[in-house]
Amino acid sequence: MKPGLNDSQGRQLAALSAPAVIFTVAMIAFPVVYTIWLGFRSFSSTGASSFTGLANYTALIKDGEFWNGLYVTFALYILSMVLQLVFGIYLAMLLFHSKRLSGFLRSLLISPFMMPPVVAGMMWLVILDPSLGAANYILQSLGLPPSEWLASPTWVIPTVALIDTWQWAPYVALIVLGGLQSLPPSVYEAAQIDGASPARVFRRITLPLLLPTIVTAAVLRSVDLLRFFDIIYITTQGGPGNASNTLNIYGFRVGFEFFNIGYASALMITLSAIVLVAVLMLNRLRSAVAW
Amino acid sequence: MASISIKNLSKKFGELTIIPGLDLEIADEEFVVFVGPSGCGKSTLLRIIAGLEPLSGGEIFIGDTKVNGVPASKRDIAMVFQDYALYPHMTVYDNMAFALELRGMTRPEIDQRVRRAAGLLHIEPFLERKPKALSGGQRQRVAMGRAIVRDPKVFLFDEPLSNLDAKLRNQVRAEIKALSQELRTTMIFVTHDQVEAMTMADRIVVLKGGEIQQYGRPEEVYETPANQFVAGFIGSPAMNFFDIRRAGDGFALVGADGLKPPVPDAAKAGLGAMQDAVIGIRPEHFLHAPDDPAAFAVTIDLVEPLGSDTLVHFNLAGVRTVARVNPELRPKVGEQLKFAARPGKAHVFDKASGRAIR
Repeated sequence: MKPGLNDSQGRQLAALSAPAVIFTVAMIAFPVVYTIWLGFRSFSSTGASSFTGLANYTALIKDGEFWNGLYVTFALYILSMVLQLVFGIYLAMLLFHSKRLSGFLRSLLISPFMMPPVVAGMMWLVILDPSLGAANYILQSLGLPPSEWLASPTWVIPTVALIDTWQWAPYVALIVLGGLQSLPPSVYEAAQIDGASPARVFRRITLPLLLPTIVTAAVLRSVDLLRFFDIIYITTQGGPGNASNTLNIYGFRVGFEFFNIGYASALMITLSAIVLVAVLMLNRLRSAVAW
Repeated sequence: MASISIKNLSKKFGELTIIPGLDLEIADEEFVVFVGPSGCGKSTLLRIIAGLEPLSGGEIFIGDTKVNGVPASKRDIAMVFQDYALYPHMTVYDNMAFALELRGMTRPEIDQRVRRAAGLLHIEPFLERKPKALSGGQRQRVAMGRAIVRDPKVFLFDEPLSNLDAKLRNQVRAEIKALSQELRTTMIFVTHDQVEAMTMADRIVVLKGGEIQQYGRPEEVYETPANQFVAGFIGSPAMNFFDIRRAGDGFALVGADGLKPPVPDAAKAGLGAMQDAVIGIRPEHFLHAPDDPAAFAVTIDLVEPLGSDTLVHFNLAGVRTVARVNPELRPKVGEQLKFAARPGKAHVFDKASGRAIR
């Protein structure tokens, strides 16, 4: 009980916070703890399980699929993150400076992330179809060779990254736009008097001032990107071969296609640890760039 | 170093006219203060001179160069903003060095200039700090340092003291004045505080509704205000105004029969056959005169001891009046005191136009 509260206030406090506590335990703490527990066990085909200690984790280290998943996850993470930040910042600057863009056009520009990822995935699947899709039609009409897109082991990661960027760069833009709008206007006037060109103002003033906002956007996108699932599940299901088999997709297949729940849980715990470390590192970066 | 010449300058925001047409000459090395109430156009005028705001008509010259359409960076001016506008992510040193870097100066040259300005403003210990680690007064100095290092032709100050507490404001005010004497550069300072205007300026521009009400030395503006607005705006506490009406061969206060105000001789001629006018008496021009047969008795209803003076409030002819008295008088609320207006110090204004009559 907090000091200064009498019994009845204490009871009231407990009653009021109980729903939140129960919800948190039921929805977050229990699944996490249960998954950790599952990760230490091995399941037979009859559903019986036995404690195997760190066996699932040692198996992970020897599993080529795991290392491939890790590589795919990080390749996709870094490529998508860079693309989304670059386009997001560009789009935000465009929205911030353009007085001509109508409200409707602004809404349209930021609408992709309101679309369910499954719908976005289906839409791009059609567009990128090697023989029927619009993408190759456009390439060919420009005199360029057609691409296999999602069917190419080389191009599948960049293609998925582009789809995700199409969907999520506007989200980054919206966050960055909020940051831009809160920057003090007099600082820009001071820079104007100091004689900074627009390019110099962007590089020396806007970008450093926006860094904390950009890192915040990166944190939010990191959590999603490291757990990349939906668009891949719709478009490639980890293929061709295992070229887009992220850790999350791999874990899903191990758990729900091969029913190796213990191993899948160990995979998911490892992935969660990776996400946690990434977020902690980015948070540290955010305090480093705060002004 | 440069003079500034403004010819028939006008500024409109859409349909709204902020400055209808303004002429102003500022001499080289002069310290000019723009003063006026909120919305009088003083900051807009400063921003137009800076090149941060386009003008709607007229011409501006800095030195011999017409600067209409010349970008702010090419006008060779420096500006200190109300909120200081320091670059929050840069150290104090970098804040000051930024403009010099943009001009392509060499490192040693930049270093020399930054350190000299820092020395002048006593901010050397903070050079490696970021603005958020500085107090308001220190930030203020950095903003001035950023202006000084550039060695501009003209310094522009946009209400730079309004975010400081009273004590610091007095201190920085004195520092800016000392700095202006040391740097000998043309300076324009915008404020709504008439004390700042009076204490700092070589000449004051009193603005209202985008028009110059009076342009002159502080004592000139104080002693011979051009109109009732200037008389009421300059001086603290403000001048007391009373309606007067012709009575016999002189004038009497309206609402206080038989009370004859001391209309200066010079004004009498100017008044001609006018029936109604306004007389203005500054608080310091009421004399406590217990033995004067011409004095009038009033009941004190508020006393404000300031230490060096005491302000007493009373009702005279239906007007709430303030007089400045010797603190040794130790007046009390409810007490009756006899006052007389100091002869020759009253100001007379045209009732309709507010123009001073003298």
